[in-house]
Amino acid sequence: MKLKAAIATALSVGLFPALAFCAENSAATETGSWFALLFYVINFSLFLMIIVRYAGPAIKGFFRDRAVGIRQNMQRADSALLQAQERASRAAEQMSRLDAEKARIASEMTDETVYQVGRIYDMAREAVARLKRDTELTSAALRESGRRHVREAMALAAGEIARELIVRNFESSDQSRLLEQFTAKLNQEAGR
Amino acid sequence: MRSSKVAKRYARALLGLASDHDQLEAWGVELERLARIVDAPEIAMHLESAELSQVARLETLSKIAEKLDLSFPLRSFAVVVARHGRAADLTAMAEAYRKMLDDLMGRARATLTFSRQPSDEETAQISTHLEAITKKKIIPTIKVDDSLIGGVVVELEGKIYDGSLANRLAEAQRRLSA
Repeated sequence: MKLKAAIATALSVGLFPALAFCAENSAATETGSWFALLFYVINFSLFLMIIVRYAGPAIKGFFRDRAVGIRQNMQRADSALLQAQERASRAAEQMSRLDAEKARIASEMTDETVYQVGRIYDMAREAVARLKRDTELTSAALRESGRRHVREAMALAAGEIARELIVRNFESSDQSRLLEQFTAKLNQEAGR
Repeated sequence: MRSSKVAKRYARALLGLASDHDQLEAWGVELERLARIVDAPEIAMHLESAELSQVARLETLSKIAEKLDLSFPLRSFAVVVARHGRAADLTAMAEAYRKMLDDLMGRARATLTFSRQPSDEETAQISTHLEAITKKKIIPTIKVDDSLIGGVVVELEGKIYDGSLANRLAEAQRRLSA
């Protein structure tokens, strides 16, 4: 095939100067000639025959191949288009799924947030109640401790005053009375 | 504890011997005198010194007994005690002897602490009541402590009978502060 194409190309190139030459001579001879016309016809026919004979199959083959290539390209393009469409639809599906997922997550997050807020609120309420209770207990204990301190201080002061008064006014008769009370106690002990 | 047990054994032996000789009280007094001397710090230190030989320790205690003019059995007892290295337990022996003797004679010792010096009548009155409680003859030891303010505190056989004004005041204070 390549050889034929090369021969056809060489002949074409070889005959083109003849055509040019004929064209140039025609200008010199203003009147027509059947011989020259015949020559041109034969020459052109030979040219066509050579072209058809040798370059035709190559050209035909080239165009056939080209058509096949174009058809294949078109098929590939169609299949690529289909794939692209499929992918686009898949992407759209995925997008819609993602949107649904996003909406679900958003809803769950809202629910979780509401739950957490509720829990934090409950915990805070419990903490406040506990703090209140502790504060009440502490203040009650402090109050009681204060009262006890006052009672102790008063008892101590009263004791000191009583001691001083007794020491100042203590007489022998008081001692006798105390001893009588003591012996009465001993009697009770002996009676047991 | 071991020392106390040993002291009781010695005291019991001496008490048995004294009972045989009918010298329960006299030997008790002599034992207390000996214990008091041996318990004096300078003599106790001397007797417990590691530099003192066994013979020297024995001689020292024998001389003390002689100086105190103790009866022969008590001198022998002192020598026996020294020979067995129990001189330091003499005070415990005297106490054990006194307690055993008191039990034997049916008597008890009581410490009567008054806020001021008591009359004999007051002491006797309290002793009589204590005898009614213990069913034993009471040998009182009198003490005076003016911090009691008034009344008396009796310590008898490990028990305390508090009839003092200081105690009543303390009770009142406790009730007030409760």
